[in-house]
Amino acid sequence: MMLNGKVIRTRPSFGVLIVLPLLLSLIAPIANASVAQDEPMGTTPEDVWSDDYINMIFPWAPANEAKLQFKEYHSYETMKERMQYLTEENEDIFQFHEGLNGGVNARGETTTGDTYEGWHYMHASPWLKITGEVYDGDYNAFVGDTGNYADRPDVMIVGNHHAREWMSYETPLMVMEVIAFSYNNIGYDNDGDKEYWQNDGIDNNNDGEIDDSKEGIDEDPWGDADGDGILDDDGDCLALDASFQDSNGDGTPCGSGDLGVDEDYSEQWITDLVNSREIYLIPMLNVDGNIYDREVFCVEPAWETCPSGGWRKNLRNNGPEPLPDLIQEVDEDCDGVDLNRNYQFEWGWPLGATIPLIPGTCTPSEDEQAGISNNDVYTGPFDTKDNDGDGLVNEDNVDGEDDDNDGVKDEDWAGGNSEPETRFIQDMTEMNDDNGDGESEYKATLTYHSYSELVLYPWGHCADCQTTDHEQLIYHGDEMAEMTQYTNMQSSDLYPTTGDFCDWHYGVHGSYCYTMEIGTAFHQNEIDIDHIAVRNLGVAFYMADISDNPRERADLAIANISQQNYLQEPGDIAVPSEGDIPIDICVADAFPFSASQSELLWRTVKPSRLQSDYGPSEWSTTAWESVEVMALEGTCTTSDGNGTILRGMIPISETATGKLHYKASVTTLAGSDFYQYPSDGDYYTLDLSYRAAYGSVFGSLFMFALTATFVWGGLAVCLRMMLTDDEEIDLAAAESAEVGDN
Amino acid sequence: MAEDGDSDQFNGRMGLIFASIGAAIGTGNIWRFPRMVGANGGGTFLVPWLIFLFAWSIPLVIAEYAMGKRSRTGTIGTFRIFAGKKFAWMGLWTAWISTAIGFYYAVVSGWTIKYFQLGITGALNGEDVDTVEVWNAFLQNPGQVIFFQFLVIVLTLAAIWKGAKAIEKVNFYLMISLFALLFLTLFLSLWMDFSDGTLDGALFMFTVDFDMLMEPEVWINGLSQSAWSCSAGMGMCITYAVYMSKDEDTVLNAFTMGLANNSISIIAGLAVLSAIFAVSPDPLATVTGGSSAITFLALPEVFALAPFAPIGPLFMMAGFFLALSFAAMTSMISTVELCVRNFVDHGYERGKSVALTGVALFMFGLPSAVMWIKLDSNGVAFPEFLEVQDHIWGYGLMFSGLFIAFSIWKYGYYRWKSGVEAGVAPPGFKGYLGFGVSAFRDDFINTGDNDMHVGRWWDLLMYLAFPILFAVLMLSYFTDMIANTPNVWDPSNPKGLSIIFLFWGVVATLFIFFNKFLIRRPLYRNIPNGADVDISTLPGGDDELIVALGEIAPGFEHLSIDATLDAELV
Repeated sequence: MMLNGKVIRTRPSFGVLIVLPLLLSLIAPIANASVAQDEPMGTTPEDVWSDDYINMIFPWAPANEAKLQFKEYHSYETMKERMQYLTEENEDIFQFHEGLNGGVNARGETTTGDTYEGWHYMHASPWLKITGEVYDGDYNAFVGDTGNYADRPDVMIVGNHHAREWMSYETPLMVMEVIAFSYNNIGYDNDGDKEYWQNDGIDNNNDGEIDDSKEGIDEDPWGDADGDGILDDDGDCLALDASFQDSNGDGTPCGSGDLGVDEDYSEQWITDLVNSREIYLIPMLNVDGNIYDREVFCVEPAWETCPSGGWRKNLRNNGPEPLPDLIQEVDEDCDGVDLNRNYQFEWGWPLGATIPLIPGTCTPSEDEQAGISNNDVYTGPFDTKDNDGDGLVNEDNVDGEDDDNDGVKDEDWAGGNSEPETRFIQDMTEMNDDNGDGESEYKATLTYHSYSELVLYPWGHCADCQTTDHEQLIYHGDEMAEMTQYTNMQSSDLYPTTGDFCDWHYGVHGSYCYTMEIGTAFHQNEIDIDHIAVRNLGVAFYMADISDNPRERADLAIANISQQNYLQEPGDIAVPSEGDIPIDICVADAFPFSASQSELLWRTVKPSRLQSDYGPSEWSTTAWESVEVMALEGTCTTSDGNGTILRGMIPISETATGKLHYKASVTTLAGSDFYQYPSDGDYYTLDLSYRAAYGSVFGSLFMFALTATFVWGGLAVCLRMMLTDDEEIDLAAAESAEVGDN
Repeated sequence: MAEDGDSDQFNGRMGLIFASIGAAIGTGNIWRFPRMVGANGGGTFLVPWLIFLFAWSIPLVIAEYAMGKRSRTGTIGTFRIFAGKKFAWMGLWTAWISTAIGFYYAVVSGWTIKYFQLGITGALNGEDVDTVEVWNAFLQNPGQVIFFQFLVIVLTLAAIWKGAKAIEKVNFYLMISLFALLFLTLFLSLWMDFSDGTLDGALFMFTVDFDMLMEPEVWINGLSQSAWSCSAGMGMCITYAVYMSKDEDTVLNAFTMGLANNSISIIAGLAVLSAIFAVSPDPLATVTGGSSAITFLALPEVFALAPFAPIGPLFMMAGFFLALSFAAMTSMISTVELCVRNFVDHGYERGKSVALTGVALFMFGLPSAVMWIKLDSNGVAFPEFLEVQDHIWGYGLMFSGLFIAFSIWKYGYYRWKSGVEAGVAPPGFKGYLGFGVSAFRDDFINTGDNDMHVGRWWDLLMYLAFPILFAVLMLSYFTDMIANTPNVWDPSNPKGLSIIFLFWGVVATLFIFFNKFLIRRPLYRNIPNGADVDISTLPGGDDELIVALGEIAPGFEHLSIDATLDAELV
């Protein structure tokens, strides 16, 4: 309707009427949200989860069982009781042991069960053998366990090398509880949120059914399962009001260990792992030291009396002089060996801070008061035996090399594995050969320590050195660092150590071994036990999972990630109007690249000088040259998230024409793997167009004048001379013609 | 009958010049030169190209003229006289290479006439003409290709049937027309290029990039363009010098011919580049991208956009391809004449020689015309057999030049040695440098007929620069070939190096073997009246079988003198 040139709407048109409900439905959620915002608390944990979960009441024990609820520390005794109890309750998968039976070990030494008992309190380390149908498998007389299957990879999880690092045995105990509870308990809703998710009218698991019975079940496994860079895969923690997001108070909202993060793992997955792996769980290796630390060294509560101190070593009697030691009491100035410096691989080497104590030269207490340590990192005594009986002593230390060239490696060691606890680990490892191939079964080993929030991989004994599996170790380390939000680093980058568990496992047995430095104190306040243990649970299962072939898994994963990397295609290259041509490689964040060893390869193709005048274009190709690449500030997008831009500058002159062939070689950190882009042997072709100015007016005028003078000027001079000559010749010719006519 | 008594001569020196320029100017000036300019930095390329005109091409042409003017025979006779009996095969080599190239060059010349026909009928004009389609349809039609090849041979034979006078006339008209047509094309090209406000094609062609001038490749390319395009050292000028009047100024002629050749190159280059720069979005990719492709595919597309449609494009297309066919025809004429002259020298009747050469050209050119017509990766047809022929014989041309230099070196040494024996030349190395090195120049170049005295520079170029440049040129080509050709040593690879050496080896061996039969034949020199053509100081000068036309060679009295004479005195 037109009035005075304006359109006046007198009533909503039919179209608006139809669209109105739709518009309203769009506003509805906003309206709801604004209503919700009226409540100051936002979405609360109560809205989502069960009360038990919110209060970290674990389902495997009554709420008032403080130790079983990880609200109080276990002692050696209560731990052992619980292990035995669970073994009785879960006979099909658990087997309880203390120490080993003994016998003739891999080095030909005869041992007994006593060999593995602590010096002081005379307890062997208690441990669990966990695998499906544990009593059906083969019996190992030396170790004493059944459940040995040649086709089940073995994984060793060790806690409490160091007596005062209490979280390092509490976490393995929670692993034990989780396995016992989860085995064959498929589809348990760990966080009690299934009602929440099954009533929200949304298809949360994207299976095409809204609010089906699978929603809210096993929806948040350990780590970043969907690869979006967010640990809280189901987004329940992130949905909370911000004030609830950092439940463990570590400053990271919805970080590892917070409520709602990695909280609902799959019981089916755990059951499958138990049925396909042999898990050797040794929660408390250093029983002697732990008892002494708890009962003697630190006054209760230890987290208040010695939060960053405590008894570290075992209770070896080192003196004092004169020998023999008549005092059976523990001499705190003198006694003990650092178990994690006592393994034989590169034992005592390099010395650094770990000078072995010569028996009897203990640190006097006045030095200790002056801040001089009583050598908490004593590696244990020198080995004075001629281990191989050849008349020489210590001529071939354990380092993976045949130092004395006698054809036998590492047969006469300088020291190490002198303690019952480390011998236990050694014999457990070396006498566990399910398939009889002479190699240890443990392809993956894990030890918990406290504290620093780190994931450490070998080597520990040398600085600026790398294992041959560097990249692969980094890969798995990164995965576990992502899961725990800890920092992944090479052990020696923290500080060099000697004779540690992982150097020995990796160096002697090629086992992928990780040290988890968990928590923030030796004696962590007991209110932190539960969430720190929760935070580090996944690592144990991750190691169990990869124990079939960690190297191949890493290689495949790296190769898989490498497929996300890509080289800029010709159409995407912005050729500048002058200067070198920048070409980018986008490298996925998860890919362990080395920018300094990666490179762009290029060559140019020009029309050949041999170009036939009659044939097709023939091209002359230069040899491949390389330029280095530099990481840029910004990010690029890969198929699976963000990536780093590596840029190489191809030095192509502005006057060049023809084609540019280019390809990239991206190298992993250790340089052991080269990935070629676009793919092996292939390359991209960029048409090069002439970028320089076609010419300058002045210059070309000058050159034109020069050319014209030389060529046309010269030609004119020649022709002129010729014409003058011709006149003379014509005259002569006329004369000769007259003669000829005669 | 010639007015000039008993020998066949050009009428005036312009005739000689036009014939020589016609020999020098070929398709290389018009379709190779712009490509080289494009690929070697525009004006940058002109610097070495001009320098080598004076350092390579003109000195060689001077030598050729001097030799031919003295020997008064074709290539075989010239080498027999100048290098000695044993080396007559070098002349045979020179003649063979030229003729072998002629086999396929007739086919190529046919293409240019076909494109003139297409141009004049307007078949290449219009928006929807797919030049690749036109080209492929033509090349894949053996009947068409053979027809135009045949046409070229017939026209060429007609032009040279009657000898020097006819060659002179034909070349005169063709060259004048060529100039006119190229200027027409140039005018239209510049018009096109300037219609967007800048003469960027011209700017590019005359701008020197000093960084690029440091690249050895540009210099090697400049040298090869100068060497190939000028026909220097290929025996053409020896042949045409046979028809020189007795007091012709060889030096002036050489300069005129070289400069004229380069003039045409510049005009053609400017015309092609301006047109392409005016139209093509990436002119340098177009101009450097191919060979026949640029001429027969890119240029028609460009010319179709000429101003003053529809007359402009039609003029431009027809004019350009007519000029191109004229350039090809004049080169064809000199090629055939080079071959014919050698027959005539050895007592064959001219008519028969021409006919024989014509039949050979057609027969041996047929495979190049129709065999192995393939499609390249862009779907453009190309004649692979022809290309292989070019690959094998093209580089052989350079050896003709080497043989000429060899004759000069040999003459210098020979002359000095006999001079020392006669007591007229100083002995020792210094004596050789003073007397021997300059002997050729003193005896045959600075004869008094020339206005310009040729100085010591020529000796330096022939004795020092030539061998170095020759070595650089051949080495760079062969190393390039080795580097860029897969299976370069596989003799069955038609683009390899082995096949070149194989063919060369066979031909050279055959010729060296054939040499002794060759020198048993009398050689008739085409000497104008009163000319100073004494050859007694030459290595082959004492050969009594070498006689002037009309004389009787000892032992060959049975040969009909009249018949020989008739052939020559057209």
